[in-house]
Amino acid sequence: MSHDSHHAPVASKLELAPERSDLGLLRPDRTTGWSDWLTTVDHKKIGILYGAFAMFYFLVGGVEALAIRTQLIRPDNDFVTARMYNQLFTMHGTTMIFLGVMPLSAAFFNFLVPLQIGARDVAFPRLNAFSLWTFVFGAFVLNASWLFEFGHLAGWFNNFEWHKNLVYTDFAPANGWFSYAPLSGTFGQADASLHAPRFTGVGTDFWIIGIQVLGIASLAASFNFICTIINMRAKGMTMMRLPVFTWMTLVTAILIILAFPAITVALIELMFDRAFGANFFNPSAGGQPILWQHLFWIFGHPEVYILVLPAMGIVSEILPTFSGKSLFGYPIIVFSGAVIGFLGFAVWSHHMFTTGLGPVPTAAFSLLTMAIAVPTGVKIFNWLGTIWGGRVRFTPPMVLSLGFIWMFMCGGFSGVMHSSAPADAQQQDSYFVIAHFHYVLLGGVLLGLMAGLYFWFPKIFGRMPNATVAYIASGMVILGFNLAFGPMHYLGLAGQPRRTHTYHAGFGWETWNFVATIGAYILGLGVFISFVNLVWTAFKGKKCASDPWDGRTLEWSLPSPVPEYNFAQAPVIAARDAFFEDKHGGKRIGFENDGGEAGVHMPSQSWMPLLASAGFLFAGFGMPMMAMGVPHAGWIVITGLGVLIVGIWLWALEGPGGYMLKTPAVAGSPAPTETAAH
Amino acid sequence: MFSRFFSRVGLLATPILALVVAGCSKADMNVRQSTLDPKGPVAQVQYDVFMDTVWLVVVLFALVGGLLVYAVIKFRARPGDENAPRIEEGHGNPLVEIGLITASIGALVIIAIPTLSAIWYDDDVPDAAVPTSKLAAWYPRVEGAKENYAKVVEEQVLEIDVIGKQWWFRFEYPQFGLTNDNKRSVPNEFVIPKGKAVRINLRSEDVIHSFWIPKIAGKVDLMPGRKNHMWIQGDEVGHYYGQCAEFCGDSHAYMLFRVEVVEPAEFAKWVQKQKTDSQPVAAGSKAETGKALFGTKTCVMCHNINGNPMAAGAFAPDLTHVASRKSLAGAWLDNRDPKAQLALEQKDKNTESSVAVDNAVLKANLIKWIGSSGVATGADGKPTKDVKPGNRMHFYKMFNVAGLNETQQKFTDHELDCLAEYLLTLK
Amino acid sequence: MSENAAAHDAPTSTGIDHKKLIMWLFLASDCMFFGTLISTHLLYRKLYPAGFTDAEGHQRFIQNLFNIELTSFSTFILLMSSFLMALAVSAMHKGQIKSFRRNVLGVIFFGLIFLGCQVFEFTHFYHQGLTIQNSVLGSTFYVLTGTHGTHVAIGVLWLILMYFYSFTGKLGGHVGALDVEVAGLYWHFVDIVWIIIFTAVYLVEYLGPNGFWGTGLPAVTK
Repeated sequence: MSHDSHHAPVASKLELAPERSDLGLLRPDRTTGWSDWLTTVDHKKIGILYGAFAMFYFLVGGVEALAIRTQLIRPDNDFVTARMYNQLFTMHGTTMIFLGVMPLSAAFFNFLVPLQIGARDVAFPRLNAFSLWTFVFGAFVLNASWLFEFGHLAGWFNNFEWHKNLVYTDFAPANGWFSYAPLSGTFGQADASLHAPRFTGVGTDFWIIGIQVLGIASLAASFNFICTIINMRAKGMTMMRLPVFTWMTLVTAILIILAFPAITVALIELMFDRAFGANFFNPSAGGQPILWQHLFWIFGHPEVYILVLPAMGIVSEILPTFSGKSLFGYPIIVFSGAVIGFLGFAVWSHHMFTTGLGPVPTAAFSLLTMAIAVPTGVKIFNWLGTIWGGRVRFTPPMVLSLGFIWMFMCGGFSGVMHSSAPADAQQQDSYFVIAHFHYVLLGGVLLGLMAGLYFWFPKIFGRMPNATVAYIASGMVILGFNLAFGPMHYLGLAGQPRRTHTYHAGFGWETWNFVATIGAYILGLGVFISFVNLVWTAFKGKKCASDPWDGRTLEWSLPSPVPEYNFAQAPVIAARDAFFEDKHGGKRIGFENDGGEAGVHMPSQSWMPLLASAGFLFAGFGMPMMAMGVPHAGWIVITGLGVLIVGIWLWALEGPGGYMLKTPAVAGSPAPTETAAH
Repeated sequence: MFSRFFSRVGLLATPILALVVAGCSKADMNVRQSTLDPKGPVAQVQYDVFMDTVWLVVVLFALVGGLLVYAVIKFRARPGDENAPRIEEGHGNPLVEIGLITASIGALVIIAIPTLSAIWYDDDVPDAAVPTSKLAAWYPRVEGAKENYAKVVEEQVLEIDVIGKQWWFRFEYPQFGLTNDNKRSVPNEFVIPKGKAVRINLRSEDVIHSFWIPKIAGKVDLMPGRKNHMWIQGDEVGHYYGQCAEFCGDSHAYMLFRVEVVEPAEFAKWVQKQKTDSQPVAAGSKAETGKALFGTKTCVMCHNINGNPMAAGAFAPDLTHVASRKSLAGAWLDNRDPKAQLALEQKDKNTESSVAVDNAVLKANLIKWIGSSGVATGADGKPTKDVKPGNRMHFYKMFNVAGLNETQQKFTDHELDCLAEYLLTLK
Repeated sequence: MSENAAAHDAPTSTGIDHKKLIMWLFLASDCMFFGTLISTHLLYRKLYPAGFTDAEGHQRFIQNLFNIELTSFSTFILLMSSFLMALAVSAMHKGQIKSFRRNVLGVIFFGLIFLGCQVFEFTHFYHQGLTIQNSVLGSTFYVLTGTHGTHVAIGVLWLILMYFYSFTGKLGGHVGALDVEVAGLYWHFVDIVWIIIFTAVYLVEYLGPNGFWGTGLPAVTK
């Protein structure tokens, strides 16, 4: 039987009458280019937008990384100043985590989750658009700090009164991505204008507001995805039949909604310290800077799993596909993912082993950290079990996935090394730690995400990326990565501390820093070639079939690119990996004509999410400008809050809307037979 | 053809990693800040625990990595597979799973035990380091024994207060009266007697710093608002290098320090020397002009020099013995002849050997350091590049001294020369 | 609209409406949010039992500042507003729009009384010398209770909009009842959080002669 037969040409929205919202305004529709992308509520388009922005910021963060490595290529180098270096590593970390990996994961969540669970969209399509644009504007705010920094260095502001009065002249954040107080906070007593003296300038304010806005985006998206996964599964799609990627999305989203409030509160407290002279982290008034570390890492450690779990989910989809065999130990993979998420909340203090916690907490967190290696190990064993006895086909996604397992394993092992607190006393804040988390986040997560891109790109655009280029680029990434970060293990053990913008000759660090920098260049070039390959494919690549890999999950049953309504008729499934079972075994998927004569219900597009989130753009620019002392900047903040409130208000009043779309009629498709095994 | 060639790309990591490991084994384990060359009990214990984890990980890596490579090669798709029957769908094997989970827990217990014992060992001066600590065994039962024990510890354990500031360390020896309150503190280079347990009290006056001497002990942070402590002991005489390990602002990379481990008799001499004042300068010399400049250019507001009654500042490093120290500016500038130092390190095959201070280097360093700190101007009329950006020597910005304008505070080359000559007398 | 609404209300996998589910998720997240704020306050309260120093340099204790009668009253008012909210939700489910309006007006009114009490309290404390700048206690107290107050204010705003929206005739049926129920969930949650804050911030100060945390200093009278 052909699975493409369900998808004959479909009624276009052009044939429908223009739709008016409850406000009486015309709703935007899919007919115009730019406004379509700005107003879309289609989870697939939102996913593509997330992916495009994430790839852009990957390159931005990559350029920052290369500048860092160039500075360190030889001892006593002065490629950048100390302050610029500090700003570079702060923005590199922040960009890669919040603007690179998280949105790229979000791109996969958006594009895949509804397809994998057999839904037509997410639970709240407009909220989804709001998450996207809030992320985009948060990223703008964060990176606007560079604009101000370069403007300052170029002397654009020299003639302004507010610039002459500035005490602190750093405009881009320079605190490191975890912005430890009191360096990011205040000291001494607040003056009459409620400002306490501080160590850093408005760069930190940009960082605070940027991360706060990005947090709102992540929270909104996570509420939406949990709701979608729990509530919008196709008939027969029980929780234990969910594809593993969807499962990991669910765990990630739960982690986000429980972890982000801690950083939200910490940022509010820091903001009150800086803007209103409060004393949360001000040591001279009795504030405890250690509290910032606790609050940050209660968020920060789950954040690590927020970054890793989606990549694990991706790999858990790719390995079975190219091994021709179902995932080994599905329930245990799912369960260990949940255990990792749960334990992730219980190990935050291992980032603080050197802060003088005392032996009992140190021991407890040391043991808990070791414990988290168990579920992580279980995943690796099960991936191994998946390959075992299979028929491994080598394709770019598969090679990248194998690379992921290998690199992640290396990162996991160095993680075990510093789960031991006494060993960590030597490794903490040294290059050993840099090596460890880059093995996890770059060798692990980035390779996993790249594998996902190569795997699902044919589904997203209906075009197949060039495999030869993909192999060359992947080879360069893996080679460059190991050259760059392998030696850092040694550098750390040889005593090179992280976040130092230069070092003297004579400490024995010269050779390996040079090697690391060369590796970083190769890695950067590899990632760049890979991205160019993908972007080129999106527009000009060779067209391919809808199921080029012999896929297992529901999205492969759809044509590529996926039509806006996803499923012409709602699928009913009777097994895990139902699509694969259906192709190679008995009947496992049926379709029910849920739309009836009227067609299926599609959500209307809307300007309101974009409008509401634009409020964050104004507020995000205005608050640091207030801190700079720019006159009337307060009005920008008030405008921003006004835009936000009006946006949400109109959003509520315009009504959800929606229109009926006729999908191709399909002859009655019998319900599948349930199997007892699944 | 390409796919066959590149199918092994994923496995390329193996030889690369092997190369890196081989490279590491060839790399020098005895560099200045190496954690792999412990010279004290704390670093030794940390090194031992680390090596436990390394061996465990190497074994696991060989097992799991080996299996992965084997599986990928053994179970690769072969021509003709397209027509082969579909692989039977497995659903995992509970026995294998539980076995592997148990095995991983077992493996972790192997490192958990030394970890726990090391955590308590590193926490504070252990009884074993206090010769008469047998008191401790029965003090709960004896009236006053606890206080007595504390007294014994106090007498037998050297106590040093470390105060972190942006971007230098101040060391105080309260048992010898060498404190900032007594105007006798020691900046950036401190001295400990060989083989004696030292309790370090860590305090910060601004942001978080971290105290790290890789060959002697792993790091503990200096947290503002908290009283952290650690203990160290140097078992071999030598010159050791340390560095602030927690990012602390603009010049974090320049926040270094040194520790000299000396024979106990040497230590006693050193303490006595710290209590002496500087010698008077010769009349009519450059140094005398320099001493006057030290006052008029407001240096005295922050710096202390015993023997110069004007110089009684308490904020900046004490300069009474500045010319006897092997480094300057938060140990970033080395006052030794660099070539002679490297030659000695190579000859002795260790980095703990140290040549003496070279006066010419020291003078050049002094001129560079003072001259660059925003107070002097270069030939182009602009301030010369900071040795340590953000340092607090920009005093004309900090103090609005009546009748002293910016120009007056700047140094001519001659003035710098005189000032350096004066500081050179502070042995 | 009705057709769209019907399509929008396609049965969910769990049988729980999307809106209700997402509100529960938001509240789970908000639990962590308030949990963090309350922990911050309690940690510092434990660390600094001696209260704060006012502008004149006098050592002051927070329990001398508290007007427990007033706060108990505002707590009671907030509890009663929850009762009215429950009545409003029930009325909406029965389609009794007039009863809904009456009850929701009561909720708004009570919410405003609560906010008024808080404004009064803040002004009073400020004049007594507790500011956000002069002590850690001031920072944690104002930020914690202020954040709760913001939640109440958002709830009041939401209900006011809903009240006026009900006159357009569009608030009705299953969807309308659901919208009101979701607002009710939020309102009840904010109420419950207040009970916890009231206990953890106010009432514990009255346990024993020196309060739960102790003062370490002899009690000072005003």
